[in-house]
Amino acid sequence: MSKLNETDIQGFVLRGYNLLFARYFFLHFEEPARARRLIEQLLPSITTGQRWDSGKPQSTVNIGFTHRGLSAFELPPATMISFPVEFQQGMRARASILGDTGRNAPEHWEHIWRGDRVHAWLGVNGITPAALDARSAALRNLIDETRGAVVLDSQDAAGQIVDGRPTAKEHFGYTDGFGNPDYLGVERSTQPGQGKLMPDGSWAPLATGELLLGYADEAGELPVAPIPHILASNGTFMAYRKLHQNLATFRNYLEEKSRLYGGGKEKLAAKFIGRWRDGTPLELSPDAENPDIVKDPDRSTNFTYGADAEGTRCPIGAHTRRVHPRDAFGFNGKLIDRRRITRRGLPYGSFAGEDEQVSDSDDRGVVFMALNASLSRQFEFVQQQWIEYGNDAHQGNDKDMLMGNHGGSGKFVVQGDRSANNPPFICAHLPNFVELRGGDYFFLPSITALEMIAMKLVDPR
Amino acid sequence: MPNQNGSVYGLTILSPILDDEKASPSHDLQIRLYLSTLPTGANSPFAKSPGTHLCRLVVMDDVVYVGAPSIEEHLQSKYLVFECNLDATGEEGLEAYLRGLAEHMPDHLDAIWSHCVGYPGAADVQAFIRYMKACQVETTFFFAAVNNKSVTESLRALQTQRAVADFIASSQGMEASRLQAKFVEFAAKLKAEPLPKPGSMGPKRDIKLGGRNE
Repeated sequence: MSKLNETDIQGFVLRGYNLLFARYFFLHFEEPARARRLIEQLLPSITTGQRWDSGKPQSTVNIGFTHRGLSAFELPPATMISFPVEFQQGMRARASILGDTGRNAPEHWEHIWRGDRVHAWLGVNGITPAALDARSAALRNLIDETRGAVVLDSQDAAGQIVDGRPTAKEHFGYTDGFGNPDYLGVERSTQPGQGKLMPDGSWAPLATGELLLGYADEAGELPVAPIPHILASNGTFMAYRKLHQNLATFRNYLEEKSRLYGGGKEKLAAKFIGRWRDGTPLELSPDAENPDIVKDPDRSTNFTYGADAEGTRCPIGAHTRRVHPRDAFGFNGKLIDRRRITRRGLPYGSFAGEDEQVSDSDDRGVVFMALNASLSRQFEFVQQQWIEYGNDAHQGNDKDMLMGNHGGSGKFVVQGDRSANNPPFICAHLPNFVELRGGDYFFLPSITALEMIAMKLVDPR
Repeated sequence: MPNQNGSVYGLTILSPILDDEKASPSHDLQIRLYLSTLPTGANSPFAKSPGTHLCRLVVMDDVVYVGAPSIEEHLQSKYLVFECNLDATGEEGLEAYLRGLAEHMPDHLDAIWSHCVGYPGAADVQAFIRYMKACQVETTFFFAAVNNKSVTESLRALQTQRAVADFIASSQGMEASRLQAKFVEFAAKLKAEPLPKPGSMGPKRDIKLGGRNE
């Protein structure tokens, strides 16, 4: 297949910017003509997937719309009803499918997500807080001048800086951001373990249509997409979820359980997710962190679970093994190639050192954003079957240890062997370490599609 | 024998549905209506009949034409499809299972199958068995949720797994002699526990089932 037209695809879709300061504005459009003018004037600022040959920009801007948001531009009804049903419904209406119940139920979400007013996500990333502020102010001015939208709210997020250097740590202390897939045609420094597993054990990029609309997916089909084709092509869907982290609960639970666990606290923490907190995969280094592996792109994601069917190295229910099972379900990994998602996202709230006092009510968590061609086939499947259920992983009714909506009754089995420092262990009475505070589904159109929306040119005929 | 996988039998029955244009609602819709009211899980009449691993009832209207290059074809009748994994070995085992259905859920069987051609009723058990077997087609391949384990063995295994996990969770790190005493007590108690009801060990999920992802 030919190279993608990177200048037509929003940069946020094609690559993680690694610009650690972000602000996500949530907009409401009040009047169609003014909203279109805003998009028209915003267009030159939208960051595309074009390579940064002359270095990183100071800041980036990207935009996505809810189904209601697209209605606000007066798109033709024939177009509006052609979007996939889950996108038309929005994430709140999908709560029972996603397991967003109990403490994660919409009635507990932040105010903005309980209503129907969010029309757009305007994502800004900056290389420094000052660059983020400057770009945010410019966007605010544009919104005010055009009166194209009302800013309902904004969400700040930022990576952790330690000794002046950015880290990929989240609040529980794990290093994040290893597992994004490669796609055909997307130029990116690829590494083995990030695409799909081939019969000879090598790794190849996933079909473009697993990420972008308008291209063949892993079944050789075009993903379900709105009409006209040009509106959909080079676009994608995003699930935005604000995930609050109960840090005090996590630390207390880990502390309490590790007193009984023969492998020690850090190994137990590693067993929860399948990687040591520095990112070393348990599968490659079951007994200790190994910074050499983490730094080596040929090794840090290059492993399979075939030789660890019993889960004695990486537990079968560990987070990373659940959400990216590689070959764990057999059939050379073929069962998972249509269930992959691309994750963006950053932590929000202040970081707390291990010896700092923390409380569950502290405002901290992660803004989780998943990109995929089909929300129902990819994100929703992973959430429903691999996070909130354990059958595919042969873990019965057990949910994902860290992400699961346990409500105090969950269980996680750490498989082990006869050695004293790797014993089998059971974590029971699991609380909710993570709670959903809201979010929605967004469509991130191509640059061409944004222009067509701005010019009122979308025509399904 | 393709119907058989170890001690589990894969049963497929296609019963032609009565075609009576005077019937209102039509017989196929009457079956659909009744099926929509049948409970699932532990309260399903099939769970209360012995030996059912899982089963499914489907009303098959016709072959759907999906466009060229496929050929337009039609069934001669509408069919009620009954697919079931059950504990049985060979024809004798199958007949025993069908007899169990006739004894445990005759009213349900009659309410469903009385809309099918030639159904004799469940009261005459021999006629019922003959009818069901006459409608049977060979199951060439079936989903083996459980290999070679009876419903009773599966339920006991699930009960044991759950109880042992709970036991470990509550006694990890216990001093050895106390642990042993506690385990002996636990094992005796577990052995005396009644068998859980079929259909009762599934996930307690407040999640919507039966969607496209299930």
